[in-house]
Amino acid sequence: METGSIDLVRMTLLAGGAAPQLVETLIPTRPLEADEQYRFHFDMTKCIGCRSCEIACNEQNGNPAGITWRRVGELEGGVYPDTQRTYLSMGCNHCLDADCLKGCPVDAYTKDSATGIVLHSADACIGCQYCVWNCPYSVPQFNAERGVVGKCDMCRGRLNEGLEPACVNACPENAIQIEIVNKIAWRENYAEADSPGMPPAGQTVSTTRITLPGNSSSWLQRVDTGTVPLEHAHPSLVAMTTAMQATFGTLTVLVLASALDTVSITLLVLLTAVALTISVFHLGRPAYAWRALKMWRRSWLSREVLCFGLFFLAIGLCAAASWAAQLGFPTARLMVYATAWTGVFFGLCGTLASAYIYLVRARPAWNMVHTPLDFLLSAGLLGCVMTVAMRAPAAALSTWGNRFGLHLRPMPAVQVALPLLVISLCWVLNQAVRTMRMRASLNFEMRASFNLLRGKDLWWVGALALIAVAMTPLFAVAPMPLLATGTAVAAVMLQRYLFFVSVVPLSMGLTFLGNKAGLGRAA
Amino acid sequence: MSGDSQRKAGSTPETEVIDEPQTSSPGLWPRAMRFLGFDIAESRYAYGEDPRFGYISESRIADTWTRTTCGYCSVGCGMLVGTRNGKAVAARGNPDHPVNRGKLCPKGLSEHHIPGAPGRATTPLLRKAGRGTPLVPVSWDEALDAMLRNIGDLQAEHGQDTLGVIGTGQLLTEEFYTLGKLVQLGFRSPNYDGNTTLCMASAVSGYKLSFGSDGPPGAYADMETADVVLLIGSNIADNHPILCNRLNRQTDQMLIVADPRVTKTAMMADLHLPVKPRSDIALLNGIAHILLRDGLVDHDYIAAHTEGIDAFVAFVADFTPESVSETTGLPVDTLERVARLYGEAKAAMIAWTMGVNHSTQGAVTVAAINNLALITGNIGKAGASPFSITGQCNAMGTRESGFTSSMPGYRKFDNPTDRSELSALWGISPDLLPKARGLAYPDIIEAAVAGRIKALWFIATNPAVSFPNYGLLQQALTTAKFVVVQDGFFPTPTTEFADLVLPAGIWGEKEGTFTNSERRISKVNAFVKPPGDARADFDIFLGLAEGLGVRETLFPGWTTTHDAWLEWQRVSAGRLCDYLPFTWQLLEEMGGAQWGGERLYTDGIFPRENGRALLHCVPCLPFSEQPDAEYDLVLNTGRTVEHWHTRTKTGAIPMLNNMAPNAWLEMNPVDAERLSLRQHERVTVVSRRNSVLDVELRITGIVAPGHVFMPFHFAEHNSNLVTLGDFDPISREPNFKQCAVHVERSTRA
Repeated sequence: METGSIDLVRMTLLAGGAAPQLVETLIPTRPLEADEQYRFHFDMTKCIGCRSCEIACNEQNGNPAGITWRRVGELEGGVYPDTQRTYLSMGCNHCLDADCLKGCPVDAYTKDSATGIVLHSADACIGCQYCVWNCPYSVPQFNAERGVVGKCDMCRGRLNEGLEPACVNACPENAIQIEIVNKIAWRENYAEADSPGMPPAGQTVSTTRITLPGNSSSWLQRVDTGTVPLEHAHPSLVAMTTAMQATFGTLTVLVLASALDTVSITLLVLLTAVALTISVFHLGRPAYAWRALKMWRRSWLSREVLCFGLFFLAIGLCAAASWAAQLGFPTARLMVYATAWTGVFFGLCGTLASAYIYLVRARPAWNMVHTPLDFLLSAGLLGCVMTVAMRAPAAALSTWGNRFGLHLRPMPAVQVALPLLVISLCWVLNQAVRTMRMRASLNFEMRASFNLLRGKDLWWVGALALIAVAMTPLFAVAPMPLLATGTAVAAVMLQRYLFFVSVVPLSMGLTFLGNKAGLGRAA
Repeated sequence: MSGDSQRKAGSTPETEVIDEPQTSSPGLWPRAMRFLGFDIAESRYAYGEDPRFGYISESRIADTWTRTTCGYCSVGCGMLVGTRNGKAVAARGNPDHPVNRGKLCPKGLSEHHIPGAPGRATTPLLRKAGRGTPLVPVSWDEALDAMLRNIGDLQAEHGQDTLGVIGTGQLLTEEFYTLGKLVQLGFRSPNYDGNTTLCMASAVSGYKLSFGSDGPPGAYADMETADVVLLIGSNIADNHPILCNRLNRQTDQMLIVADPRVTKTAMMADLHLPVKPRSDIALLNGIAHILLRDGLVDHDYIAAHTEGIDAFVAFVADFTPESVSETTGLPVDTLERVARLYGEAKAAMIAWTMGVNHSTQGAVTVAAINNLALITGNIGKAGASPFSITGQCNAMGTRESGFTSSMPGYRKFDNPTDRSELSALWGISPDLLPKARGLAYPDIIEAAVAGRIKALWFIATNPAVSFPNYGLLQQALTTAKFVVVQDGFFPTPTTEFADLVLPAGIWGEKEGTFTNSERRISKVNAFVKPPGDARADFDIFLGLAEGLGVRETLFPGWTTTHDAWLEWQRVSAGRLCDYLPFTWQLLEEMGGAQWGGERLYTDGIFPRENGRALLHCVPCLPFSEQPDAEYDLVLNTGRTVEHWHTRTKTGAIPMLNNMAPNAWLEMNPVDAERLSLRQHERVTVVSRRNSVLDVELRITGIVAPGHVFMPFHFAEHNSNLVTLGDFDPISREPNFKQCAVHVERSTRA
């Protein structure tokens, strides 16, 4: 039935009683039964694109202008004068299989057992933004002022009071409603969740029901695809992943070449300490970094933190054993290689866990086998050059240490020229194949990532990375190990920067001008 | 050159994204706590319980709610503005208000941010050392003295009519009434007009042509009850969104939208008529032709209440469906269908907005609309009216109580009865009343260029963005010897040219009334005080009257706008726009009331001498600047829902500004391909007058091949650099909607 807005708003007046049949149209009045939850219904045939819902949402939640938990997008199709324009208004879709929730390392998300609302706790959140990467609708948004993420909770506080959510209340056309959905039936057939301008609903089983205009929906298209903004560069993650791959790679080369010595393992411990310290500053709340361990059974982010933590412990023990052996406890020497091999194992696990963080369906350009390959090859590349480059400072440190009677052995020479050449070639090949696959992809986000990479803002960064990696074996053979390390680090960091900024996330279609501001995106 | 200075003049905070900027930067300890994540601004983002509206962000919980009326467009939505400790924190639609029934558009929902927005004018500023030197803060006494001295000297030297005053549709009715008396009887210059001439003057003139008086005959309720609603040049989904839910309430209502662009409103229509630009008169005459041919007219009504039917029948005989099809670009079948729908409807409504008014033929187009209503008797009954949907919140107030194109209370300058009545009410000699209307807005500007007007006073308007053909305006502003800008915001692109800036209170800071499109008088209340030294416009007017020595004669004993209201009630008593039956208190409690009742002319008696409405023979002329080989595209201009006029207000609200941060140019894919232009590319729009640089291109099927469209809100990309300074001969309204341009890729230096 149609609803008169006079009564709709009267519902918001606690003193006023609303007509029951009206309340039922906009928000459910009966209690939820087993296997049921609340969901949004968006009626595209009613929406006039006025954007009142967006403002109402921000006013309801006190959010600043750059954060929009409800967004309105535009779709267009057809040829003048038979042009069709329609609008999409979306908050959170309160999915049955919410990916935001699965990835969260601190269990800040819950799917409310009573209502099915996907809730986020600002208190529990550490601001890692993994949910931002995981959600195919770009619903969770990072609030830099708070250091935590926030999202639409269907105004649960209002629903609990029998009041309609702010967007439902504000819509002058009653195009947004709250409904009850049977989860089992919906999982079997969620066709009504799909719409032009929306990622396929099946990925997370979005519960939002969308009523489409009858005749034109097949040719409606997004209008926001012409400008794709660069994503956040996450400099602390560029530094952290590069440094961790360097330590893991170096340790592996040294262990394989049986060339591990006290000074070099000590240097690796220091480098790891620096890398892990940098990594916590990726978080909105660095002080609570330890919480990230919590969800190791489910979240790749937790597993990365766990593995790298154990890696740090192992090489720390390795260094301690090595020093103990130096200082006259020869039995400790047995421990050195045992802990080093343990370190290699956790380093490998950590590097793979690190790569798996990026294998998210909501970010197609990351979700490729090339991501773990890149992480492993980068570890190899950096490991080879660092092993050579560390010889001179290690030798100097040993000489210096020997003055105090430490009898440190100089680091043995390791031949890395051939493996370095092979790894460099593989590294370039991996990037090249990834780029070509993105170019050839049928997926819009993949091709958009490719276009960003070859676009005027980024192409020269890629070229620099390529030059740097080509120079690396030459410098290594020269032998100019420090320069080789410099070019290898530069190549990996530039490539990693591109990896972060050029990814195009799945999202709902926004307005023609809508990509410029908001969503916390930055180059 | 002018393009550059104009672009620099755009000073709206485009990049501001912080909602409530911190007044002082926090100390080291709080910053460290935030950086480490111990502090997540919990209290700022806490939720609480509003006693009236329930669960909401703690920051939006009010201790006091003030009933008022929205200060943006003329829909006239009733609002509740919440304040806490004297600061505005929330805006709500008033659920008891009959206009909007609790709903608001995005501008209204964020309107509580306006009084406290950055960029408010807070102190009088005078260019003390002359042009080319900065504006410096001065006291009110010095500012008003400077104004009266400079204007007085110029008037003494060049005559009283050397003062040109440009008002607005944004003030209170009480202020319009006061200002009209001040200008006409205090400053004694007849050259006073409102920016409403850029907006609704054609509707005013068209009503006068047909019915003998201004006054929109219909009501919003007609949009609900009409069987057929024909919207002409009216994009209400962007410009009057809260009216949209009046439509399609009955499932069998037929909504027809005539617009060359596929607007948001066209998408709501059951039938969209993609007419060629300025072919609406042919469409209207063509419908009349079919109605007369098929006998779908109300012969009794025509006989009893109209004049000129024979000439009209003969005139529209030429508008055969075939010829109209050629002019409008609509198929004959469609024309026949539209005519049949309109003619067979039990109640049919035609509503229009700027697509009709912004035209050199605006006034007569309105008359052509009125013709259709008259021959079918679709006037003065429920669901049936010709109806102008006005622009500004109180454009109606200035039309009724102002002293510009007519004397207060719709009195005519040349009517001896009106003159003697008004002079008797005011206790003055009729000779003191001007004999005829002074110059209209565009003529004041042209007179300033020609040196006939030496002093200009702009009140609550920003012509540097809103007036067509910026080059001419710039010349007027620099040629005039003394320019006063009275505004709530500083700087605006217009204050660049000001010799004196008077900081004014705005919506939310003043008490009085607004009158909306459907003649509904609604109460407007203050909930905060003007910032700094800013004063309500009313107080500025009284201060000037004091300085002129006319305060006691013109405004005896007045201290508040209510004094003006009481006198205006007496002056309007017995007129078509009769305010006498209402009190402020009544208006506030009722959610406003319509003067003249729900609709006008229910008895079919019109305020012309013979009581009959006049049918006009309106020829359909092509617009003046047709595209040619060099300027091959027709530029149409308009608005978007996120912004209000020249963005002095909405540009200062980060949420609205983020939604539409810059202008764009819509172009059909056919033209884009021909010009090898790409989506989002920066283009330059060039007309014979000037060019707009670096506009973002939107390639879209919204506009027809051969047409381009851009919004006029943006000082930074000012469409009025290129628009045509061509005006309706009757209403003096500018032809904003069509001019010839060409578009090229921008080349950045």
